[in-house]
Amino acid sequence: QETNIDKGKKYILGGIEVTGVKSYNEQTVVTFTGLQVGQEITVPGEKISKVITKLWNLNLFSDISFYITRVEGEKVFLELQIVELPTLSDVKITGLKKKKTDDIIKEAELKRGKKVTESFIANTKNYLLNKYKKQGYLNTKVLINTVADTSEANAVKMIVNIDTDEKVKVKDIVFEGNEKLKDKQLRKAMKNTKQRQFGRFWKKSKFIPEDYSTDLTSLIDAYKEKGYRDARVLNDSVIYNDDNTIGINIAVEEGERYYFGNIDFVGNAAYTDRELARVLGIKKGDVYNGVLLRKRIADDTKPDGNDITNYYQNTGYLFSRINPVEVSAQNDTIDFEIRIIEGKPAYFNNVTVAGNDRTNDHVIYRNLRTRPGQLYRKENVFRTIRELGALGYFDAEQLNPQILNPDPDAGTVDIQYGVVEAGSSQIELQGGYGGGGFIGTLGLRFNNFSIKNLFNKEAYKPVPMGDGQTLALRLQASKFYQTYSFSFIEPWLGGRKPVQFSTSLSRTLQFRPTIDYRDVDKDQRFVITGINVGLAKRLEWPDDTFQLSHSLSYQHYDIQNYAIGGIFPFSNGVSQSLAYTVALSRDNTYTNPIFPTGGSKFVISARLTPPYSLFNGVDYADLGNQEAYKDRNSNGYLVHVERDANGNKIASTEKVVATVDEASTDIAKVGQKKLNWLEYYKIKFQGDWYKQLVGDLVLRTNAEFGFLGAYNQDRGIVPFERFYVGGDGLGNYALDGRENIQLRGYPNNSLSARDGSTIFNKFSLELRYPITLKQTASIYTLGFLEAGNAFESFDEYSPFDIKRSAGLGVRIFMPAFGLLGIDFAYGFDPVSGGNTPNGWETHFIIGQQF
Amino acid sequence: CSEYQKTLKNTDVKAKYDLAEKLYEAGDYKRALRLFEQIAPSYVGKPQGERILYFFADSYYKTEDYYLAAYQFERFSKSYPRSDKSEEAAFLSARSKFMLSPKYSVDQTETTEAIDRLQIFINNYPNSAYMEEANEMVKTLRNKLDKKSFEVAKQYNTLSDYKASIKAFELFLSDSPGSVYREDALFYKMTAEYNLAVNSIPARMEERLITAKSTYETLIKYFPEGKYQKDADKMLDVINNELQKFSK
Repeated sequence: QETNIDKGKKYILGGIEVTGVKSYNEQTVVTFTGLQVGQEITVPGEKISKVITKLWNLNLFSDISFYITRVEGEKVFLELQIVELPTLSDVKITGLKKKKTDDIIKEAELKRGKKVTESFIANTKNYLLNKYKKQGYLNTKVLINTVADTSEANAVKMIVNIDTDEKVKVKDIVFEGNEKLKDKQLRKAMKNTKQRQFGRFWKKSKFIPEDYSTDLTSLIDAYKEKGYRDARVLNDSVIYNDDNTIGINIAVEEGERYYFGNIDFVGNAAYTDRELARVLGIKKGDVYNGVLLRKRIADDTKPDGNDITNYYQNTGYLFSRINPVEVSAQNDTIDFEIRIIEGKPAYFNNVTVAGNDRTNDHVIYRNLRTRPGQLYRKENVFRTIRELGALGYFDAEQLNPQILNPDPDAGTVDIQYGVVEAGSSQIELQGGYGGGGFIGTLGLRFNNFSIKNLFNKEAYKPVPMGDGQTLALRLQASKFYQTYSFSFIEPWLGGRKPVQFSTSLSRTLQFRPTIDYRDVDKDQRFVITGINVGLAKRLEWPDDTFQLSHSLSYQHYDIQNYAIGGIFPFSNGVSQSLAYTVALSRDNTYTNPIFPTGGSKFVISARLTPPYSLFNGVDYADLGNQEAYKDRNSNGYLVHVERDANGNKIASTEKVVATVDEASTDIAKVGQKKLNWLEYYKIKFQGDWYKQLVGDLVLRTNAEFGFLGAYNQDRGIVPFERFYVGGDGLGNYALDGRENIQLRGYPNNSLSARDGSTIFNKFSLELRYPITLKQTASIYTLGFLEAGNAFESFDEYSPFDIKRSAGLGVRIFMPAFGLLGIDFAYGFDPVSGGNTPNGWETHFIIGQQF
Repeated sequence: CSEYQKTLKNTDVKAKYDLAEKLYEAGDYKRALRLFEQIAPSYVGKPQGERILYFFADSYYKTEDYYLAAYQFERFSKSYPRSDKSEEAAFLSARSKFMLSPKYSVDQTETTEAIDRLQIFINNYPNSAYMEEANEMVKTLRNKLDKKSFEVAKQYNTLSDYKASIKAFELFLSDSPGSVYREDALFYKMTAEYNLAVNSIPARMEERLITAKSTYETLIKYFPEGKYQKDADKMLDVINNELQKFSK
């Protein structure tokens, strides 16, 4: 139909017809164009071309055209002709095993419904070719055919034929023209292209063109490191042999050996030539080494390396540019000029944090080492990242500092720390049978709690978070005992200085079973109630990884009809303890708190009670001779009674006596007097050193020592607070302030006397190797050597009389569960009483971090 | 088995559509949503789609699932730009984003997104009846961002890093000249300058006192009889006393 239309004439759209659609609804296409019957439209015009672009961008059509079908007065009727691209209905891969074809369909995204364009086919082919070439199948051929699928509208099947052929190995690499460096040295320099060689199984011989060309560069670098600045590859050829191998011939020209001449610094105002020369560390007369020179100026492999670029970067010169330039080469000596453009020193403007969906700004900003107005220092950025990672609120692997708006003219820069919140709550819920009944445990630990929102209903999502406080609750109950504990930590009390405030409350109840052991007798009980308040301050001297902490704790022990042979000489009574603890600690381990790779951690602490016996005037040695502490019978008469080895009265031996001297001593009364307010001091040391040995292998060295003493020897060393050495060291239930010391390879507490030890020492060496350090789960294996022992008193102490052990284990850390682990250890020495080695022990480690 | 459960499992799109609309009209948005979710894809691009997509988005909005409401309303106003509900949808999409904006002390990505979307709405529909509310929301969000910067700058003063605090307030005052926190910022800037001066080494004390004093003068000039007058005057007394020592 012929129509005469002027350029860009205005019409009213009378109708629109879509032709050529195969799988789409006409109406859908019309709606998508946004054209509506009755609207004003210019033909041809901008609106039409916009519609075409819009359709084109869908990548669904291979041809789009508009036609005018007829014009009726003001009205125009349009036809939109489109050619749909065929969609992929099925992929068939031949030449490979079934399992591999599935992988390929996934990797190359050969999904049903994809639009089959020429470029899609070409990309797929290239992808497959590259994939197999990288694996050493150099002769891979890929053929892709498309066949119309008659069962669906506008669909094609794709048939991919892959012929990988055999792997191609490098038979030999032949060098020509090398005199200064041996063939072996050159082959070694080629890191990824290796000759076929029997017995070398960790690096297979294969030929990948990209790697090969990188290796040619490394080859020349090997020469450059030795001073052969002019070395070059004259030609290289790859020869295909008949036995499906290739041979490589490389001809090199070595040239002369060169030496460094004068190295001048140009443009440096902030540092003197001498300072820079010291950092550079290359002297006139040294063998020319282009690689080293580059590294000393900017070491790409180490972001915090000790090179000239970082020397500038760490003192504010963010905008500095450093370029080495050869200024002259006379004979074999090359003079250099290191041209420096220092630029203005950069100062921080806006320092921001992004990505903290939960943690409040003030918790993060107080930990930043870069503040507005400060000089830019690269090392401070690194340190901030390290310390933010150590907080535990964020994923340490995903911390991302971004330099924004660098302005070389004004000398300012912004920095934004990108963080990703990490799960920092742990829940422990356990139930099981043990100790004659059901034991249930509920433990909750929130590491980023917000106490001020405790009563704010809106903040419960699911618990108030974001103020960096730690709140932990733990309830454990069985028929025979119950423990409740609560603790709270605020790391920045008052928000001004890093002064950590902590408080905890706990209560433990222990009951005896009835005589027939079937039920619990609540009249026989032992109740401990404790409260602890502590303050810890980060020190500025000697450096700020030191911390000084103080704490005050009070314990109340209430014993009713509860005889514990040996520990308590009385079965009815009350003991109280008020103790002050001071500790100096240092922790500069880095980077990952779960798997430190360096630094050290130590704690030295002293725990002291007031020395009551100095002032109260009680002569504890003489207590047993005083009338008030003598045995009496039920009528109140003084008696003499014999006691058995456990201190129980033998009733048949009781006889009334006339004088105080004749009467026997009531050891329960004496015990009660001696223990009414506990009196002791305790000194402890624990140190851990971490060192990265080779690759990811880390060595942890540990030493521990503890001593419990009495001010007044007549009053004696308290039965509380003692050390129990041996086993897994887990302190799940402490009746009497005891400390379980880990020494694997021996049963729990087996190296201490039944009532605990007052002095111990322990050493251990542990090698750790990480399997994965992902956020969801960190897993590492370990092997260890340990030695230690415990002693009854200082007189018996002999630091080298130790019990040794060795073993292997694994640890898994998951944010929601804490640390889980298992160790198998062999004890080489007998435990007390035996004379054969203790042998193998299995230890389960739960929730303890070390 | 209720009629609702039956319809959910039914494959008849029309039946689902009828029930969904009935539930929507009755205000049972939660149950309507599940049906809309099922049928919305099959109506995309069809004339009834306009109605369904709007109800779908609005159900999310009414059930306070603002994240999805923002997305669906935006999708609606893009798919049906000439619909008479388009303006309302664009507004509700922006308002959903507004509702998603969190408290000032955490990441503010949603806040900036909400501001951007509100601004686009304001530009596209300058005569809208929602204009007043949109402007009000933008103001609220801007104030929130200002509050964030202000609190960070103030925290540096609390941490005794006075220089950082002064710099942060300088940036705040120049970046947000019309902020409602301007008075607070000036006062706390003066506080930080005062702290820096009185804790200063003698050699730089005079210069720092003078800086603090000039900030005081700015504060009083713009906010005479302001809420910080008393505290500011107290600091000024100390500054003047100290300065006298230097004039001798």
